Amino acid sequence: MAVRVNPKFIDELEYYGAQDVIKCYHCGNCSAVCSHSDEVFVFPRRPMRFLQMGLQAKLERSIDPWLCYYCGQCSEQCPLGAEPGETMMSLRRWLISRYDITGISRRYFKSPKVELLAVILVALLTAVGFLIYGFKYGDIHVYDGANAFLPASFIHSFDLWLAAAMFFLLAVNVIRMWYFIMSKAGGLHIPWWLYIKKFYLLPWQFFTQKRYSECESKMKTRIFMPWLVHLGLMLGYVIMLVLVMVFLHRLQAGPAIDWSVHAFGYLATVGLLIGTIYFATSRLKKKQVQYEKSQGSDWIFVGLLFFIVLTGVFQHIFHRLGLEMIANITYVVHLMCVVPWLLRMPFTKWAHLVYRPLAMYFAGIRRNALALQKDEAQLAGPVRQAA
Amino acid sequence: MKECKIGVYVCNCGTNIAKVVNVEEVAAALGKIDGVAVARSYKYMCSNPGQEMIIQDIQKLGLDRVVVAACSPRMHEPTFRKALENGGINPYFLEMANIREQCSWVHDDPIEATEKARVLTSAAIKRVQYHEALEKRSVPMCPATLVLGGGIAGLAAALELADAGQQVYLVERENRLGGNVGRVDLTAPYLDSARDLLTEFITRINQHAKIAVMLESRLAELTGYVGNFQARVEDPQGEIKELPVGSVVVCTGYKEFDASRIKSLAYGWLPNVITSFELEGMIRKGKILTKEGKVPQYVSLIHCVGSRSQEYHPYCSRVCCMTALKYAHEIKSAIPNSYVSDLYIDMHAFGKGCEDFYRKSFEVKTMFLMYEKNHPPRIREAGPDDDCGMFIWVKEQLSGEEIEIPADLVVLMVGMEPREDSGDVAHLVNISRDKHGWFIESHPKLDPVATTTDGVFIAGACSSPKDIPDTVAQARAAAARILAKIAKGEIWADAVYAEVDEDLCSGCRMCNELCPYAAVEYDKVKKRSHVIYAMCKACGACVAACPSGAIKARHFTDRQIFAQIEGVLPWHSNHVS
Repeated sequence: MAVRVNPKFIDELEYYGAQDVIKCYHCGNCSAVCSHSDEVFVFPRRPMRFLQMGLQAKLERSIDPWLCYYCGQCSEQCPLGAEPGETMMSLRRWLISRYDITGISRRYFKSPKVELLAVILVALLTAVGFLIYGFKYGDIHVYDGANAFLPASFIHSFDLWLAAAMFFLLAVNVIRMWYFIMSKAGGLHIPWWLYIKKFYLLPWQFFTQKRYSECESKMKTRIFMPWLVHLGLMLGYVIMLVLVMVFLHRLQAGPAIDWSVHAFGYLATVGLLIGTIYFATSRLKKKQVQYEKSQGSDWIFVGLLFFIVLTGVFQHIFHRLGLEMIANITYVVHLMCVVPWLLRMPFTKWAHLVYRPLAMYFAGIRRNALALQKDEAQLAGPVRQAA
Repeated sequence: MKECKIGVYVCNCGTNIAKVVNVEEVAAALGKIDGVAVARSYKYMCSNPGQEMIIQDIQKLGLDRVVVAACSPRMHEPTFRKALENGGINPYFLEMANIREQCSWVHDDPIEATEKARVLTSAAIKRVQYHEALEKRSVPMCPATLVLGGGIAGLAAALELADAGQQVYLVERENRLGGNVGRVDLTAPYLDSARDLLTEFITRINQHAKIAVMLESRLAELTGYVGNFQARVEDPQGEIKELPVGSVVVCTGYKEFDASRIKSLAYGWLPNVITSFELEGMIRKGKILTKEGKVPQYVSLIHCVGSRSQEYHPYCSRVCCMTALKYAHEIKSAIPNSYVSDLYIDMHAFGKGCEDFYRKSFEVKTMFLMYEKNHPPRIREAGPDDDCGMFIWVKEQLSGEEIEIPADLVVLMVGMEPREDSGDVAHLVNISRDKHGWFIESHPKLDPVATTTDGVFIAGACSSPKDIPDTVAQARAAAARILAKIAKGEIWADAVYAEVDEDLCSGCRMCNELCPYAAVEYDKVKKRSHVIYAMCKACGACVAACPSGAIKARHFTDRQIFAQIEGVLPWHSNHVS
């Protein structure tokens, strides 16, 4: 069955950052240099061709963009400046918008101004809400305990509601992702037990990001910097999320330092600070090809995260110093960053935290299913010929 | 027979001959043959000292025959003939033995090779004794030229000749000048206007005192030979004009392939499948529209329609790739929000500026799709709910996918093919055609505008598909060749040609049809055939065919050839025993 071409698709993808894909003449250098491209998942060349041809339906089902970590070697090797790495990045952005059922994501990617406006609006609403609550029920001079301006119990329940909403939206997106990638697997039969057999990939890839470290496997000098920094950032983030969601009471208590939670907090903060500073300066200096082309949403991502960490650190310090009112004001600013940041998650690049390990998991299943199909075909081959 | 004084010269050709053939031994052995006055070997006979050696020997020793054992006569026969002339004897008293190509280059055994060189040269010695003194003859050159075809090639050739002050008769079948270029809007890759190119030419031609333009006319008959043709041209009223011309330039061009022959492309059935020339017409009128009068959103260009296919024409039509890219640019500038797809087999962008043009087509976002020769695109009508009029099925090569592209307008890049009347034209001016019907050049690389008939030249797309620069270059080249002949004022024919002994000729006319150069003419009054020596190439076909033995080839007489065979035979009998 012939696939229908959408000639307008290449125009659409320009909004997501694929400006140069038209230049590609398919020499295949990008796929040759890529450590992750193999006979099952051939990229960036194949997705680039699909994009040039406007094979939207094929790309929607594609897992390839998620298997790329944008080390940038392909773009460096490209003789025509077709930016295969950036093309893969733009395809990830597009896929995020496809998985998102609300259409908000698409709007964000198409106009960073809209996204910025939404962030500011949410931040202001957050500020107004918490200030009203604080002044009504608490005292701005009290940070913690009874009569606190923003009591931990209230923030905790607010966090839980927010988390539930996010979880619901992400769950819908994940189902859509599964539907695109796995249910339309192109005639490939996937036995259910493979989902169980390959399940280990999910936590394994999530917590180690081992695949990212393999990006450098074909390089002469390996530094593992992007991987280590990214891993530090991600682990810091997850630790902080667990602390905030589960141990907020103890985290917010003070001024004495509760090492059983704060030790983790400090560790996570170091990871987050190093990560955000590293990625922000890389993008500013454009020192590697993957940091050369930053979109509005990339800056909002790095910028917001940096402010979250910064305000988090300062409110902690102010609280320990006994400057409770300043700590409270910093806390409000902190929340003004956190809430839009969390609300953005299902609609932006942020969501790769979930999609990427899932893609690795799906890829593992697909690979296994393909091998099974091949074995079966080999077994059945001679019999079929005889018939 | 008078005793000859023969000089024999064995060339070393550096080491080319000497490393296999013992040249001193050959020279020493040949020196003993009766009639040989001197036999020498030398490093390079073709060098100035080598030639000087021959001249000195002729003058001091009184040589009257010369044999040079060296390379192929194709290479240096003219050189040594000149040396004989400079020495003061008739140049046709030379015979060459080829001991390089036929000996040292093809044999390893030095003893056998040396023996063969000796035998070949002694055969030449036998032959040269029967050589006759021959004289070259000349015929006057008529300076007028007949140009057939008023396309860009004919116009360029006519202007080049007329600007040099020579009379030109420009004969065109249609009622206008300009040919196929006149049907085109812009030209690739620089997007210059074709009309501008033509207007300048046509204006000058119409004003030129030396060019007689004959529209709606055709060549009815061409008789005579180089320098002295008689052309009979029929004008629109059916009257015949007799034109004496010295040369003919055939610039009859091409016609486009009939796309309706390829059923899967639906040309003639789906109204919005058009040919490249139909699109040119739309562009020239200033509006690209579908048959329903709508502005097309999706336009597809399909390459190689009729070209590069075993079923239709196996050759490449050369101009369609760049023309398609030109359309991509023209359509994008006319309809900025359109989507142009380009379905090609291979992109041939070899000309000057063409590769850059190809790159620029990426910038205007042309979707390039590669299809395979054996799986040509198929066009079908779209449904009422689709946002396009048609779909094109393609087995896309770079992705390996079978796809369907939406299209509102499909442009078929029709290839070039010889005109239906190319056979008649070839017959009229006595030139050959290849298996496709294109006129054949004298040599594809070294003599691309001359033909096997002296004085008849071909230029442009009548010999194979060509773009405008190549066509104009050929037209001007043909004009230059003709001007060189006119400048000489006379045509020198080689002294080697066939002669009919009219006393022996029975007038059977067998040779008339046989001659590939139409050099044998039948005299109706005398009832005898005779050879027009200016047209004869001395191929010998008539000599062999003549049942009465009435035709003799000068310089290839029976006696000369038998003598040469006798020279080889002792060697042969030695080897058999």
